[in-house]
Amino acid sequence: MTTTAEAVVPRPRRGTHGQHEVRKRRLFWPFVAPAFALYLIFLVLPTIATVVLSFTSWAGAGDSPEFSGFTQYARMWASDSFQYSFRNTLIYVFVGGIGTFVLAFLFTMVLREMRGGKLVRAILFFPNIVAPVALGMFLGFVFKYQPGKQGLANFLLESVGLTAAKFLDPANVTWAVTAAIMWASSGFYITILMAAVDRIPPYLYEDAELAGASPWQKFRNVTLPLTWDVVGVAGVLWTINALKIFELVFVLAGPGTYSPPNNAWTLGIYVFDRSFGSNGTPDFGAACACAVAMIALVTVLVLLLRRLMRRDAIQF
Amino acid sequence: MTAPPREPVAKPVRRPPRKPKPAPGSRRLSPLKVLGTVVVWAFTAFNLFVLYWLLSSSFKTPVEIFTQPFQLPRQWFVAGDPFRNYVYAWNQAGLGSAFVNTVLLVGAAAIVTVVVSAPAAYALTRLGVRGASGMTGFVAIGMGVPFQTVIIPLFVNMAKIGLANNLFGLFLIYVALSLPFTVFLLTGFFRSLPDEMEEAAAIDGASPLRTFVSIMLPLARGGLITALILNLIGLWNETLLAIVFLQENADFTLSRALFTFYGAASYQSEYGGLIAGVAIVVLPMLVLYVVLARRIITGLTLGAGK
Repeated sequence: MTTTAEAVVPRPRRGTHGQHEVRKRRLFWPFVAPAFALYLIFLVLPTIATVVLSFTSWAGAGDSPEFSGFTQYARMWASDSFQYSFRNTLIYVFVGGIGTFVLAFLFTMVLREMRGGKLVRAILFFPNIVAPVALGMFLGFVFKYQPGKQGLANFLLESVGLTAAKFLDPANVTWAVTAAIMWASSGFYITILMAAVDRIPPYLYEDAELAGASPWQKFRNVTLPLTWDVVGVAGVLWTINALKIFELVFVLAGPGTYSPPNNAWTLGIYVFDRSFGSNGTPDFGAACACAVAMIALVTVLVLLLRRLMRRDAIQF
Repeated sequence: MTAPPREPVAKPVRRPPRKPKPAPGSRRLSPLKVLGTVVVWAFTAFNLFVLYWLLSSSFKTPVEIFTQPFQLPRQWFVAGDPFRNYVYAWNQAGLGSAFVNTVLLVGAAAIVTVVVSAPAAYALTRLGVRGASGMTGFVAIGMGVPFQTVIIPLFVNMAKIGLANNLFGLFLIYVALSLPFTVFLLTGFFRSLPDEMEEAAAIDGASPLRTFVSIMLPLARGGLITALILNLIGLWNETLLAIVFLQENADFTLSRALFTFYGAASYQSEYGGLIAGVAIVVLPMLVLYVVLARRIITGLTLGAGK
């Protein structure tokens, strides 16, 4: 800090400037405190409490938590419902992620040169502003299997002479949801990536075009290297969002108001079912252990992704 | 990084000239490009069709929904009662009170979030305090914490002080959980503002507080509005916390009411009413989106692109 030095050697203008700096800094805590207080009380402390509670067994209201070491984790890891939840969540993160990004990349190759590109982007983005619950109900109609009263997907299958499929069977629902998520969220990632593509100086593409580059070559040698940092951020966002998936599966795989069959679960459903679900008694300890597993998974995946994506930033 | 979109302070001087025609022979039709174009248009058409399907089905009888998915609605119009599904959903699911609850709760939470986040974001970026960037990072980490992980301690402790099953309790949670993203978005905005006006205000003798209120806030208006809209959309669609923290029908928000309605209505095969319910939740956001699409998209892009 230079304020003391300035006090010793007073210079007419710099002096008042230093004083102004002090007054500015005095504003810091009053400005930051409300936001930080809410953040600490409602997010940071509860997260710590969840970690602590994950080492206890606690049946919820009326019971009190008792320390039980790693038993919750061991039991959780051994249970079918957790293994299904874990597997399904990984499917959403990886299969859904790869699909979404391949789609988004394909679109960046085409949209840049297309007429009406902005309008197309706005239309593709639309599913992102729809409540996941509403989206789930809507997809319930699309994927409905009921002979004579088929949903849209089966209506189309049957009208071209194929047999109807039970998309929402617990065994299939994970894949139906994966496809749905790819459809619904690709618009968001297309938008982010296209915003990055728009910043690339056009002469690079013109150069590539004059050299006779194919769309793939332009993508590989111009678009991808110059949007790499944004791709990394988008990957982190995807991981965070895919890990939280809850309402969509809850509504699509189940009757809607109580938990779906457990081979369709996600980690989010596991936590919800163990704490507030209507099947059996609550098990807050197990729910907290799963919540900690979610945090651990998101941390590992994000760190891994950042490490994989680390490249020297290209200045342009 | 692009400069964030601001209110039209100064229009860009001139559009760049149209790009030159490519050299002859370089515009070959590549299979990848054809495939890509087809996929893009198919996708776009599908999204538009989905919207049409949602709107038309909300006026149909269940039989029409499943046997004539492409046609325009007929029977309720013939019967002279075209809004029958909407009336049914509105009354049976209690969407009337849910609508009022949602507008008040979501509106208040979004406004308070921005009011609390703006000074914090300003302080973190522009007051020249050491360690501020570390603190910004600490708040940003909050974006990665799934809501599910904090739900149990929150619920137990809110119940102790009588704020579970309570709209005010949910309001507090909404504000707190929207903070990380909003602060993060707004730090991006404040960081991009020019230093000169702030310095000029200081030389003119304005106090730092006054500089913030009458110089920096108006300059950041675009960012504040974007943050407000993004929070409105996010909270309007939020369901998980509403399921946990609202138990009484009179307190339900729209998505919460729709969630409860789903079980009962699908049991009674009331599909038309259900789709009308979905439409009631989706349409206000659709209108907001059509009016403000550009701002919403640039805002989200800015939040993600940093």
